[in-house]
Amino acid sequence: MAASIREKQTAALKRMLNFNAPPLKNTAAEPVWKVLIYDRFGQDIISPLLSVKELRDMGITLHLLLHSDRDPIPDVPAIYFVMPTEENIDRICQDLRNQLYESYYLNFISAISRSKLEDIASAALAANAVNLVTKVFDQYLNFITLEDDMFVLCNQNKEQISYHAINKPDIMDTEMEGIMDTIVDGLFCYFVTLGAVPIIRCPRGNAAEMVAVKLDKKLRENLRDARNSLFTGDTMGAGQFSFQRPLFVLADRNLDLATPLHHTWTYQALIHDVLDLYLNRVSLEESPGSEASPAGARPKKKSKKSYDLTAADKFWQKHKGSPFPEVAESVQEELDTYRAQEDEVKRLKSIMGLEGEDDGAISMLSDNTAKLTSAVSSLPELLEKKRLIDLHTNVATAVLDHIKSRKLDVYFEYEEKLMSKSTMDKSLLDIISDPDAGTPEDKMRLFLIYYITSQQPPSEGDLEQYKKALIDAGCDLSPLNYIKQWKAFTKMAAAPANYGNSGVKPMGLFSRVMNTGSQFVMEGVKNLVLKQHNLPVTRILDNLMDMKSNPETDDYRYFDPKMLRGSESSIPRNKNPFQEAIVFVVGGGNYIEYQNLVDYAKAKQGKRVMYGCSELFSATQFMKQLSQLGQK
Amino acid sequence: MSCRDRTSEFESVCKSLQGRQNGAQDIKPVHNAVRQRSDFTLMAKRIGRDLSNTFAKLEKLTILAKRKSLFDDKAVEIDELTYIVKQDINSLNKQIAQLQELVRSRNGQNNRHLQTHSNTIVVSLQSKLASMSSDFKSVLEVRTENLKQQKSRQEQFSQSPASSSSFHDNMNKYDNSNKADISIDMDLRSSQQMQLLNEKESYIQDRANTMQNIESTIVELGSIFQQLAHMVKEQEETVQRIDANVEDTQLNVDLAHTEILKYFQSVSNNRWLLIKIFLILIIFFFIFVVFLA
Repeated sequence: MAASIREKQTAALKRMLNFNAPPLKNTAAEPVWKVLIYDRFGQDIISPLLSVKELRDMGITLHLLLHSDRDPIPDVPAIYFVMPTEENIDRICQDLRNQLYESYYLNFISAISRSKLEDIASAALAANAVNLVTKVFDQYLNFITLEDDMFVLCNQNKEQISYHAINKPDIMDTEMEGIMDTIVDGLFCYFVTLGAVPIIRCPRGNAAEMVAVKLDKKLRENLRDARNSLFTGDTMGAGQFSFQRPLFVLADRNLDLATPLHHTWTYQALIHDVLDLYLNRVSLEESPGSEASPAGARPKKKSKKSYDLTAADKFWQKHKGSPFPEVAESVQEELDTYRAQEDEVKRLKSIMGLEGEDDGAISMLSDNTAKLTSAVSSLPELLEKKRLIDLHTNVATAVLDHIKSRKLDVYFEYEEKLMSKSTMDKSLLDIISDPDAGTPEDKMRLFLIYYITSQQPPSEGDLEQYKKALIDAGCDLSPLNYIKQWKAFTKMAAAPANYGNSGVKPMGLFSRVMNTGSQFVMEGVKNLVLKQHNLPVTRILDNLMDMKSNPETDDYRYFDPKMLRGSESSIPRNKNPFQEAIVFVVGGGNYIEYQNLVDYAKAKQGKRVMYGCSELFSATQFMKQLSQLGQK
Repeated sequence: MSCRDRTSEFESVCKSLQGRQNGAQDIKPVHNAVRQRSDFTLMAKRIGRDLSNTFAKLEKLTILAKRKSLFDDKAVEIDELTYIVKQDINSLNKQIAQLQELVRSRNGQNNRHLQTHSNTIVVSLQSKLASMSSDFKSVLEVRTENLKQQKSRQEQFSQSPASSSSFHDNMNKYDNSNKADISIDMDLRSSQQMQLLNEKESYIQDRANTMQNIESTIVELGSIFQQLAHMVKEQEETVQRIDANVEDTQLNVDLAHTEILKYFQSVSNNRWLLIKIFLILIIFFFIFVVFLA
């Protein structure tokens, strides 16, 4: 597990694209041209990992959606990368009948069942194309990797396994089973790709426990089947230098409802919260000049620009977890260094101009051509740098606009104080009734956090006052009903989670972070510094990894798929602290928790933590789900 | 490998199904015959094969050119290989140009996917060729660098700028003659001669060096221009992702939506339409009343 999950998944994809043979390293190989066909699931999996240029390098000339109209290309092999659903199988059979391609390499994202395999076989027989179906593979790649150490289960049908779907009061058993199966399938694929069998720990009494039981069973069955096991042989071979098994912590969203609603201050989390971040791609809206739309009600089109935030972008990798003012400063610094380099290149022009007048021209010539060569070869790098700086400038400006208009720094500070139970200087009512601090949604979020984190619920009178103020500000109160129910429920189970001590030190009001002439003048925005604090999920992970005993986590169940008999005990057999851990939140996660875990892993030497969730939602989406739940 | 091969299972299922159906149907062997590959594919495959061969030769050349030893210089081999690689690159260039002509001439007949497929193949072959020729140029430059270094080191070892071979010749002469005085005489005279020769040679050498410098500079400039052209070519496929097309489609759908909305507006605002419909209804009403009454 020295390689990250992203590298492993990319390697698996590349191997698949090379007809499931390990890819050759040398460029002297003869190129083989192929066509890639995927469905929406496959598209989501491939797009954060491989760009079109990389696909071209591997010989893929065309990439098409399965359900689009495709023309026959009769002498080219086709690689299919799809989920084994009914419609996809039907479409594949149709392709076989229409004889679109020369040979077919079918790769299914998760394991295909025997009956569906028979369907394809019968269609192939009917079309007389049995020889054309060259290979059928189960790829076990049913998860999306967004970062080196972060993965999400799915993006396409995420309503089916959302928080709302799991927690709605009128859920049927069959639906629940279906959701659990989907989640377990994705997790199983994750562990197969990772190549390790973990030790599972989960809390009792909620969806996470169900998932853990099923996953344990599935892993155990697979390990027992010695002939066919996916965990022996090459997977455990090269690169597997740690002898320890990782710890897999299953957490449930119900453990901590305040974090998804929290306003945040780090770069990546802010982009996800405020702009539209989807599979590592940001979309910004740039509205053209304000023109009154004509009475014919033709909507004025806003041009959308989208940017990719990739692993190759060094600035992004360095700063995605930094607080926003730091990011603004760094963008400015990068811009300055870039301008200096640009000036150097321009200076060469003047030197070349002088050349004709100089007697020692010939001796200077070789020197200058060397400089020119180096300048020209560094030109692509410079252009790339400029593009990245532009990208981050635009994105950061957009984020800054949002912060300024909604006064997000005020919210952030207040919520931090609420979550750490320190005293506040402004009352909640003031902020709610303040008309220009934020959208109604922001106010609702703040109030919900207050409600969740307060030790006792506010008195009836206070509550009525708050409600009135919220309604005046235009908020929708249905999430509140749900939170009330949730709070009552969790009170029975355990004391509400405390959020640790955090201190937020504002570094001076109205601090001008930038010097004049730059765009990032953050007047009126407080330069807040985050002090390290641990969210509940991080604390649970800490306890479990180091085997500390803590009333919260002592009660967690323990599963070890490699043991011969499953046991009901929650006494861990393994007394050593773990070095690797994977945290998975059933019901949805977000970038704040991810960032917190990354910081935790950095602080502790030699520990690696990976984060996963069944879906990734922003606060807006979570609020929608809560209001749906509250209306029931 | 984190994937499971189901091909054998698939084949066994096929066989069992075939066995069940075998009585009723004949197996049509048509599609199992060797498929006719189109000219385009054959040509592309041939070019690909040639490219990989040339790449292998280029790798060998790189290894040879990097050697820096003074005495074991395989100049002949290097020159031969260089010549062969140059010829190969030229012929590949011509072949790819032919392929492009073929693609363009077939433009009308092909469906759009086949067209994109063919174009992509041509572009990628061209970019592979371009990268190979720039590798080739850099190998040549390395080679000239090494030659220059060799010359300078030889100059260090020998006292005169004349090549060490002439020094060796003199040494041989001295060894062959066993008479010491003759050798001393020869020494004096030959050293004088050598002095004269040295001056002439140094002058010629200087000129040669400068010419070489100019030549290498021009070569470098040529490579720079080629790199620029290469970069312009590569802008064709900048960082792009496979879900970019989805957004294109969405844009088109939005445009279509606005058009329909426009039409709807015109239809719903049209008072004349209402009047016309009303008139038609009244006409039908009268007809029915007249006929029935």
